[in-house]
Amino acid sequence: MKGIKRKTLIVPIVTWLIILITLFPIFWMFLISIKQRVDIIQFNWSFTPTFKNYVTVFEKYDFIRFILNSLSVVATTTVISIFLGTLAAYGFARFKFKKKENLAFWVLSLRMLPPMAVVIPFFIMGRMLNLLDKQLLLVITYLGFNIPFTIWMMRGFIEDIPESLEESAWIDGCTRWEGFMRIILPSVMPGLAATSIFCFIQSWNEFALAFFLTSFNSRTVPTIVNSFISVLGVLWGEMAAVGVVAILPIIVFTMLVQKHLVKGLTMGAIKG
Amino acid sequence: MNLNCKHEHMHYIAPALIVLVLITIFPTIFLYIISLTNYDLAQKPGSLSFVGLKNYWYLFSIDKDFWKSIGITLIFTIVSVGVELILGMAIAFLLDGNRTFRRLKSSLIIIPMVVTPAIIALIWKLMLNTEYGILNTMIKGIGLHPVNWLGIDTALLSLILIDIWQWTPYIVLMTYSGLQTVPSEPLEAAAVDGASWLQRARYVIIPHIKPILSITLLLKTIECIKSFDIVYGLTQGGPGNATEVMSLHIFRLGFKQTHWIGRASANAVLLLVLTIPIITLLSKNIKYSREM
Repeated sequence: MKGIKRKTLIVPIVTWLIILITLFPIFWMFLISIKQRVDIIQFNWSFTPTFKNYVTVFEKYDFIRFILNSLSVVATTTVISIFLGTLAAYGFARFKFKKKENLAFWVLSLRMLPPMAVVIPFFIMGRMLNLLDKQLLLVITYLGFNIPFTIWMMRGFIEDIPESLEESAWIDGCTRWEGFMRIILPSVMPGLAATSIFCFIQSWNEFALAFFLTSFNSRTVPTIVNSFISVLGVLWGEMAAVGVVAILPIIVFTMLVQKHLVKGLTMGAIKG
Repeated sequence: MNLNCKHEHMHYIAPALIVLVLITIFPTIFLYIISLTNYDLAQKPGSLSFVGLKNYWYLFSIDKDFWKSIGITLIFTIVSVGVELILGMAIAFLLDGNRTFRRLKSSLIIIPMVVTPAIIALIWKLMLNTEYGILNTMIKGIGLHPVNWLGIDTALLSLILIDIWQWTPYIVLMTYSGLQTVPSEPLEAAAVDGASWLQRARYVIIPHIKPILSITLLLKTIECIKSFDIVYGLTQGGPGNATEVMSLHIFRLGFKQTHWIGRASANAVLLLVLTIPIITLLSKNIKYSREM
């Protein structure tokens, strides 16, 4: 019995220790973001916190413009993906047709294309069509991973709804489309919300495409971090402030979709 | 119930499919074509021409850095995924052993893998800095020599460490959620029969969570092969080409030093090819677990 008692104490302690280690780097970035330059370099724990870095980032570096760029790209691509993806998901969930699974897996494989493989054709096509550094180009390229993701996620959510619900609606004289609008859509709302949040997170985080396909006007948040390395040295405090602001929405959103994480992180392949 | 005409599914699927073909198939074909040309961003107009498989031949027989980048990608992938698997499973078992605050614990532990990768590179740049990074401050604190974390011999190791920090939570989450679905009867029966914890894990638990684990591992492997953001943010492939994974080699060929888009495209095609077997395996596994 003694051994069991000791185990019950050790396990939680070790677990929380691991969680602390996991979160430490993020906490560390936050600390640096509220330090003055002297305190960052001289490394002391007793310092007066300052929000100067945040103010500088917003006033001097026009950070709000990059946030707005990110938001408009992310919102547009998410809305389009959810619309097209949910429709297609319904098609995959409720109809039987030839080669359905092959088609579904082809769609899934698109989600896994390496960004460095697609960035070259997009770059050249963007140059030809004069779309480089335009938000539209980013919206289009982000559809490439968001639509497949939405299809697979929403297919899972739709398959979870019993078919009998729809069938009784058909008997009452609803068409397929009406059934989709009146029965399916309202019932998958939570799933739709979760899928939108996942699309938001992965588009907000995207770096490689944004980095190569924009230069100034349409820069998104992840691509501006490196601009704080100047001839005068690295502006650690400002950089950290950008980092904290950039990951804040992501952390909040992750908490919101906590229930669906397993599903989201395997693209709906595993029911969490 | 058959209310639909024969092709009604297309009404729902076609819009998304058309968009996907336009924005993925079309560029991919374009990529194949460019990889057969001498396309160069610094080229004089009119000198663009087809060169056949010359770009591929260049990569295979002249460009030693290409082979090195494959080696680095493989080392990075195998070591990271291997350590993450072992560590992640161990932590998941630990979490499973103590279920108080489990929701809170699993949502806290997952944070590193949803944080913007570009920001992760930044965080670790702060922590690994030789002069005033926290890691070296701690090392100096216990009287050891500070380490040059992003030096020629250590940079790849640092990248692997970061990957482990970032992605072990993924394995933890997946294993942990798999563990929740292990039925209790066979476990109890095994315990009654006197099976040790290790035997129960080996014969009951692991076989049960194997499908979810293999999908997770394959997804993670693809993630590793694709990796660009953090490597770019932290080392840009350097020092020299010590951390030049395949994506970074493409970057160097096409955008950074030279503007050989043709050669970079050939390399990108090969990167695509490298992911195909893993994606095929993944499809098989997902198909299997959906049918269960």
